[in-house]
Amino acid sequence: MIQGVDGLRIGIHICRGNWSKKEEVLLAGDYGPLLPALKRMNVRQFVLEYATPRAGDIDIVGESLSDRELGLGVINPRTDVVESREEIVQKAEKALEYYTPEQIFLNTDCGFGCFANRCVNVEKTAYQKIRSIVKASEILKAKYT
Amino acid sequence: MFTTTQVGSWPRSKALLSALRSYQKGKITRQEFNRVADGEVLRTVRLQEEAGLDIIVDGEHRRDSFYSFITEKIEGVKLMSLAEMLDHVEDKSSFEEMLNTLDVPASAIKNPTCVGRLSRREPLAVDDLRFVRSISDKPLKITLPGPYLLTRSMWVGAFTRKAYRNHKKMADDVVKFLREELLELEAEGCEFVQFDEPVLTEITMSGDSRRRTFM
Repeated sequence: MIQGVDGLRIGIHICRGNWSKKEEVLLAGDYGPLLPALKRMNVRQFVLEYATPRAGDIDIVGESLSDRELGLGVINPRTDVVESREEIVQKAEKALEYYTPEQIFLNTDCGFGCFANRCVNVEKTAYQKIRSIVKASEILKAKYT
Repeated sequence: MFTTTQVGSWPRSKALLSALRSYQKGKITRQEFNRVADGEVLRTVRLQEEAGLDIIVDGEHRRDSFYSFITEKIEGVKLMSLAEMLDHVEDKSSFEEMLNTLDVPASAIKNPTCVGRLSRREPLAVDDLRFVRSISDKPLKITLPGPYLLTRSMWVGAFTRKAYRNHKKMADDVVKFLREELLELEAEGCEFVQFDEPVLTEITMSGDSRRRTFM
C-alpha cells in the first residue's frame, strides 16, 4: 500500500483501545507478539503507547525496532492528572538507551476524542497535557544538544 | 530532536456535538456543519501553537470517529450504530456481551459498514490538510484509519457478501483507496501521515482473536 511513497513521513499508530476511561476494560500486553509483523512494515515511525503501564516496557520495541523513529507516548489521554515534565523526561531518557534524540518524537498515547460521542477528556486538561510535553521537550533539547 | 506532536483527536465542544447530531439527522447541510467545524479546528490549531507543539493536528472535529468518517467519502459504505448492527452480526449474543464487558455504548459508537463496491468518491483528508494550511504555517500530521482496521470493521457478512466474496477481495479495494489518498496527500506536500491500527492489539491480546470486536 505504501510502496514507493517516500515524499512524506509515514507512521503507524497502535494502541490498546481508547473508548473508555475505565482502564480495566481496555486491553493489556506488551508489543512483543506484534514485533514480527511490525518489522516487516516499511514505515518510518511507530507511534506507540507508553504512558499506560498496560503497554509494557520500552525495551521490547527498542531492542527490535531502533532502526525506525519512535513516537513515544508520554501522556495518558484518559486521565485527569497532568503528567509532570520530570516523568516525561524520564521516559524519554529510557528511550535514549535505544534511540537517538532525532529518532524520538514525544506524543500522547492516543487521541483525546477518537469517538466524537465518547471523548475521553476535556479541552482544558488536554491543553495542559500537551503543554507538559512541550516543557519536557525543552528540557531534553537543552540537555542533549 | 524530541519533536512534539499528538495522536490526532481533540475533545469535542457541546456546540460541535450538537451540530454533528443535526448534520447526521439531516437537519443541517454539510456546508453548515463544516462552518461550525472550521471554528473548532481553528481554536484547536491556535491552542497547539500556543502550547508550542512542533507538529500539529486538526483535532478530527469533522469526524464522527477516527474511522467511521470515511462513510461520506467512500462509495459503498453505510454508517450504522452498533445497535443497528446487532441484528446482523453472526454471533449476536457474544457481540452483545462484548459490548457490555468492554463498556461500549452501542448507540453512541457507529460502524462504517460495507454495503456495496468500494471506491473513493472524494478525498478522505486532503480538504482537512488544505484548511489547516490556510490558517497555520506549522507542519501538520494527517491521521487515516489503517487497512487492517477498516477491513475488520467494514466487513459485516449480512451486508458485505452481496458486494464481495470474502474479506480479501474487499481489502484489495480498501488498500486501493488508501493508496490513492496517500499519493494525493504526498502531492499536496503533506509532511506526515499516521495510519491508525488499534485492532492489531486486539488479535494478539484478547483471549479470542476471531471474536468480532466493535471496531
